[in-house]
Amino acid sequence: MKKHVLAVSLLLSAATTFGAGYQLNLQGIRQLAMGGTGVAWPWDASTIFYNPAGLSRIKNIQVYASGVLIAPTTAFGNLQSSAVTAPQTFTPFNVYVGGPIQQGSKFGIGLGVYTAAGIGLKWDDQWIGRYLIQSIDLKAVCFQPTLSYRVSELLSVGAGFVYGTGSLDLRQSLPIHGIYGSGGYSDDVGELHLHGNANGVGFNSGIQIKPSDDFQIGITYRSQVNMSISNGAATFTVPQSVSKLFPNTKFDSQLPLPQVASIGFGYRTMEERLTLQFDLNYTGWNSYDSLRINFTDHTSSLQDNHAPRHYRNTLTPRAGASYKLSKVIAFMAGAAFEPTPVVNGFVSPELPDADRIVMSCGITIKPFPRFTIMAAYEGVSTVTRSASYNYGGFSGTYKTQAATAGIGAYFNF
Amino acid sequence: MRKIYSIGVALILLASCRPSININKDATAGNAEFTNYLAIGNSLTAGYTDGSLTVTGQLNSYPKMLFDQFSMIKVHGAVGKFIQPLLTSDNGYPGPKYILAMTYNPCNPADSSLGPVPYPYPLNNSADATYSATVNNGQINNIAVPGIRAADYKVAGYAQFAAAGNAPYALRFYNNPGTASPNDELLFMVHNLHPTFFTMWLGSNDVLLYATKGGQGIGDGTATPAFGNFYNPADITPVSAFDSCYDLALNSAISTGASGALINIPDITSIPFFTTIPANGMTLLRQGQADTLKGYYASKGITTSFEVGSNYFMIQDHKGLTRQAVPGELILLTCPKDSITCRGWGTTKPIPDSLVLTTDEIQNVQKAVIAYNAFIKQEADLHHLAYVDMNTYFSKMPAGITYNGITYSTSFVTGGAFSLDGVHPTQRGYALIANEIIRTINAFYKSNITSLDVNKYNGVTYP
Repeated sequence: MKKHVLAVSLLLSAATTFGAGYQLNLQGIRQLAMGGTGVAWPWDASTIFYNPAGLSRIKNIQVYASGVLIAPTTAFGNLQSSAVTAPQTFTPFNVYVGGPIQQGSKFGIGLGVYTAAGIGLKWDDQWIGRYLIQSIDLKAVCFQPTLSYRVSELLSVGAGFVYGTGSLDLRQSLPIHGIYGSGGYSDDVGELHLHGNANGVGFNSGIQIKPSDDFQIGITYRSQVNMSISNGAATFTVPQSVSKLFPNTKFDSQLPLPQVASIGFGYRTMEERLTLQFDLNYTGWNSYDSLRINFTDHTSSLQDNHAPRHYRNTLTPRAGASYKLSKVIAFMAGAAFEPTPVVNGFVSPELPDADRIVMSCGITIKPFPRFTIMAAYEGVSTVTRSASYNYGGFSGTYKTQAATAGIGAYFNF
Repeated sequence: MRKIYSIGVALILLASCRPSININKDATAGNAEFTNYLAIGNSLTAGYTDGSLTVTGQLNSYPKMLFDQFSMIKVHGAVGKFIQPLLTSDNGYPGPKYILAMTYNPCNPADSSLGPVPYPYPLNNSADATYSATVNNGQINNIAVPGIRAADYKVAGYAQFAAAGNAPYALRFYNNPGTASPNDELLFMVHNLHPTFFTMWLGSNDVLLYATKGGQGIGDGTATPAFGNFYNPADITPVSAFDSCYDLALNSAISTGASGALINIPDITSIPFFTTIPANGMTLLRQGQADTLKGYYASKGITTSFEVGSNYFMIQDHKGLTRQAVPGELILLTCPKDSITCRGWGTTKPIPDSLVLTTDEIQNVQKAVIAYNAFIKQEADLHHLAYVDMNTYFSKMPAGITYNGITYSTSFVTGGAFSLDGVHPTQRGYALIANEIIRTINAFYKSNITSLDVNKYNGVTYP
């Protein structure tokens, strides 16, 4: 059986991991393995993220931890040039602690710490889009204290307060060339470096309906978390004669983690061995209207930058299944179609994005009654997208691939 | 179990191949044949930039850029070498090029600003003056001559006249500079080369030299030749003379059956040379200053309007009258900044006529450009040649043209498209021009020539 898992993994291994847009969908290993579904069925403490109402359905207090390795690469090409991003590895992680306040209680309480967003791209110094983006690194980790109440066997509710914290780091070349360079793509070129810490608040809420042990429904609403940056550092590297025009200064910006409304269904059959899940996520990306960088100091050459993004809302269907082979081992698989929120004409190389077909699989092993190990693999095939970024006068063809593997474990007290 | 799993993870990571995208679209010639390319034109075609001609400017001229793209076409693409009458130095010929440097306000040394200054190193004029065409068997693919007008094409011995006027470019490589007209030289080269494709960008200087001298000459298009076929360079070439000279040159260019592209004339009044110093650039800080000036001019019988804030400069118009500039009038880039800030130019002394384009002078220029372009279009249609509407392309420049993340505009220095003389493009500006020509050729000849990566070329460099 183990060999079989490896074989499947190898088949799927040319894939990406970043969710649509800059949002990550890697908050639980079992859910990751099941195509990202998890709104209806409270499998474990990661329900704090997927549906807070499920927390009061868990039998015991649970400690849950997981981590994911992502090594994404984006390739670009147009008639003049082609480029590939530098190899980078990201390690989003999640920790959840929670469960009923005492065995059999109707109240569940917990805390989730999860990685909600993350992208990172680093292009070659001489690449053709250098005046738009040289590198970007965006991180957001959310802390979510959560309460859940089981109203009845049929209905439970839950909600959590979300505090997000993270950072943005961005570099781009400036078309200010020094006299010591040898040509247009010389090294004597100006650079803007933005670095700032971001934070924001929101909430995550859900209801969970359990008409029977084998049929469950979840409805959740995760609010927007507007990650705002204030007093970030804007550092300019320019030839000495124009340094007055580009003073080092502060900047403000914001990046919304979008609101998401979800509905999910879970159905268990075959003597409780097979569980099927189906979710729909409606993501309010249209709040990402523009990328605004507002500088504290302005000069004739340094003005605020408002780059239009005009993301559109997306509806993502997801399906997954879990098959319990024995009391120890279960297998999972799933699939999803993630439409891109980025519309044509707004595809910028800082976040090239395209529709993705997601396929995933995983395994859980329960070597001891209270302890479970989980592993998941997600494969995403993006279409090769030819698109333009009209604001920057830039167009080309993109393709993103990555290897993603996640592992996690939880312990029931 | 865990060990086996970690091997699995390692294998997954190894198996993930890095994507790559290579767009290889074969360049094709369409209905044209680019085997033998000849470029005809003036300073813009020669690669003139930063107020002079340099070997680097020549090597990055838009015809050289076009040739490189034509060479990528496998069938009917350009073959062999693209020969230009190259200089030997980068210092400028015959005068020094401009570079950016800190300049100091003479009446306030603490006030420094970045501006163009003449390149301080010695020129290499004795070596640059001679060009030996014999090494290339007389082949020259870019016969552009800085300063040349369409009107000059009938002028016998043009090279000598031009050299006397400090434009010795034709003298360097003309086959028979003493007596031949530019058209004779063009015919000579056409019969020598048998070009299959040509580009012709003539006519800018037929209005530009009038405009850059602040509208000297008659200007209304009724000028008559000063002698022979030679029109006063500081005047606007009459449309009839332009048409007949342009037609003559064009017929020479196509006399061996070449196809090609005719490039029309931009509205030169929107280039930085004319738009950098605002006509309302006089700033008054106190009401007292405004009242003093008003009183001063009232005593001379001149009605003016001054207030705290921005005010229109005092100018001298074409008739020698002193008056206040009106909206839309243009102060030339050559108007010395320190004369305005230290010597009262524009306030107590009017800015001389030679540094101002007044409303009727602007209309003279624009009217001539419209008439010339109408004829160029007519000729393109008649001879089934591509018509490159550079006028429309340049008209987008004041608002900015964004290319791969850089917005190019007509802002002086910082706009990136125009060089330090305010008239001629930077190499990046020339690459934008080459791309517009390629776009038009592709549309007209159903060819597929790859465009250039504009940002790969040099723009303005800062100390």
